[in-house]
Amino acid sequence: MIRSRLVKIWAYASFILIAAIVVFLFAFVFIKGAGTISWTFLTDIPRGAVLGSEGGILPAIAGSFLFTATAAVLGGIPAITSALYMVFFCKSKNMGVLFKSLIQCIAGIPSIVLGLFAYSFLVKDLGLGRCVLSGGTALAVMILPFIEVRAEKAFSEMKEQVIHSSYALGCSKTYTIFKLVLPSCRGELVSAIILGCCYAMGATAPLIFTGGVAFSAVPDSLAKPAMALPLHLYLLIAQGTTSLPTAYGTAFVMMAILLISNMAATLYAARVRKK
Amino acid sequence: MTAVFVYTDDMLHKLFHKLNTGVLIALTAVSYLALAFVVYFIFREALPLFSQVSVWDFLTGTRWMPVDYGSGTAFGIFNFIAASVIVSLLAMIFASVLGLGAAVFLSCAASEKIRRVIYPFIDLLAGVPSVIYGFIGIVVLLKIFLKVGVHTGSCVLAASILLSVMLLPFLVSSCSETMLKMKEHYLPGARAMGVDYWYSVATIVLPSSFKNILLTMMLAIGRAMGETMAVMMVIGNANLFPTLLGKSETIASVIALEMGTAVADSPHYHALYAAGLVLMLLVFLINTGIAFLRNRLIRKEA
Repeated sequence: MIRSRLVKIWAYASFILIAAIVVFLFAFVFIKGAGTISWTFLTDIPRGAVLGSEGGILPAIAGSFLFTATAAVLGGIPAITSALYMVFFCKSKNMGVLFKSLIQCIAGIPSIVLGLFAYSFLVKDLGLGRCVLSGGTALAVMILPFIEVRAEKAFSEMKEQVIHSSYALGCSKTYTIFKLVLPSCRGELVSAIILGCCYAMGATAPLIFTGGVAFSAVPDSLAKPAMALPLHLYLLIAQGTTSLPTAYGTAFVMMAILLISNMAATLYAARVRKK
Repeated sequence: MTAVFVYTDDMLHKLFHKLNTGVLIALTAVSYLALAFVVYFIFREALPLFSQVSVWDFLTGTRWMPVDYGSGTAFGIFNFIAASVIVSLLAMIFASVLGLGAAVFLSCAASEKIRRVIYPFIDLLAGVPSVIYGFIGIVVLLKIFLKVGVHTGSCVLAASILLSVMLLPFLVSSCSETMLKMKEHYLPGARAMGVDYWYSVATIVLPSSFKNILLTMMLAIGRAMGETMAVMMVIGNANLFPTLLGKSETIASVIALEMGTAVADSPHYHALYAAGLVLMLLVFLINTGIAFLRNRLIRKEA
């Protein structure tokens, strides 16, 4: 009986502690950062004697969105086609097992190693230099398995009956996929891509030496380096206490983007499911 | 797209279907090629180092002098490997204590309604960027360690505590899923026989989920090892063998800190790729071990 009581206490205590950690994380960043947030902070470039201690973070916000968009296009499309291939085209069981373990291997590559890869392949060999495209490619490889696993789950949970009926009516596989599978899975797909984008947007390690820089103007091309929110935050902290207020502000913006996009993903998936 | 929905001999339609399938397979190939590319480039840039330093010296040496300032160069990453392994192991242990408890709560104490509310929050926690953890680690955790008397506050313990919070979402969601399955499988029988609810949770649900929990914990170590930013920001980054309250440096942080200053194609550059290779192989090794164990455990059950 003591054992069961202990397990019960353990379960409740750890849950409460974790809930407290979540609340603390968000409350801390939002309360400390709220004072810095202003229209100028969001729309100005970094300024100050120690760069970034004054001024705003507009180039970092724009850069982060550009990095993320590049990653979403380069990683999201192959991720969804791979998931389609796994569920609807791959007939051999051994091939299926092989592909699944390959995807798991990609998921296991540490993000810093992806940065090394992008540096030697894109920055050095292809001569692209440090730019949004190089960094975005590293992020793309990082979010590819993330989106693939979720998309594959969504596709394989579709009722087989519906798909077989479509085949029985003489519809081609491609037609079935475009008209039946993709529309009915769009809730899960969109939320997988949004969550993948959040993951890419928060990643610093792959960007440090492939395309993220301490200062740049608002990026207008994929062939130029850009600022990114997480890298900017890291550099501000490394500068010491003078930049602390802007660091809190940057963290605030990152957490706000995360919160809003997570809510959007959850709500969209729920709305599609209801229909 | 819109015209092709009844069977027709029209060559164009068939061609269209073939084309679509072709594009789809080509794009799929891209994602699998990505792995080959990554592995190839890391190997290619790492191997030149081993013409200067033997693999054994690289893995077991403790001196890291990547640039020659007069006393010669040395490339030994033993301390970095030890730090990566120990920080991840500690983080996994801390995270398991809380994570398993919360998983028991979610699977056995919470109702379906509460579960549906909680899961999005766990996803949210999983999405918090590591640099934010590092930031909070510096402004909160390190302050506490400093007050307790740890010099500068940065230490292995701080890094593993921070890392353990980052592992929580993964551990909680994956363990609670397993426990939920076991609960639905076994509990109705136990309850029918009049066994106390929490007693049956403690003696049936927990032990029966043990194998899956073990695999999840191993997976968590693999994930922890690849984590760069948060750990790097609080571990102090000194080439020392990891002790709880001492500074140390992980493989990932060496790469992140030094890659920017390493001259392309210098021994330093190749050594950093070799360190990356070691990190990647360590994670692969763990994942392969998990796959092997899983196959064996499942075969035994079947």
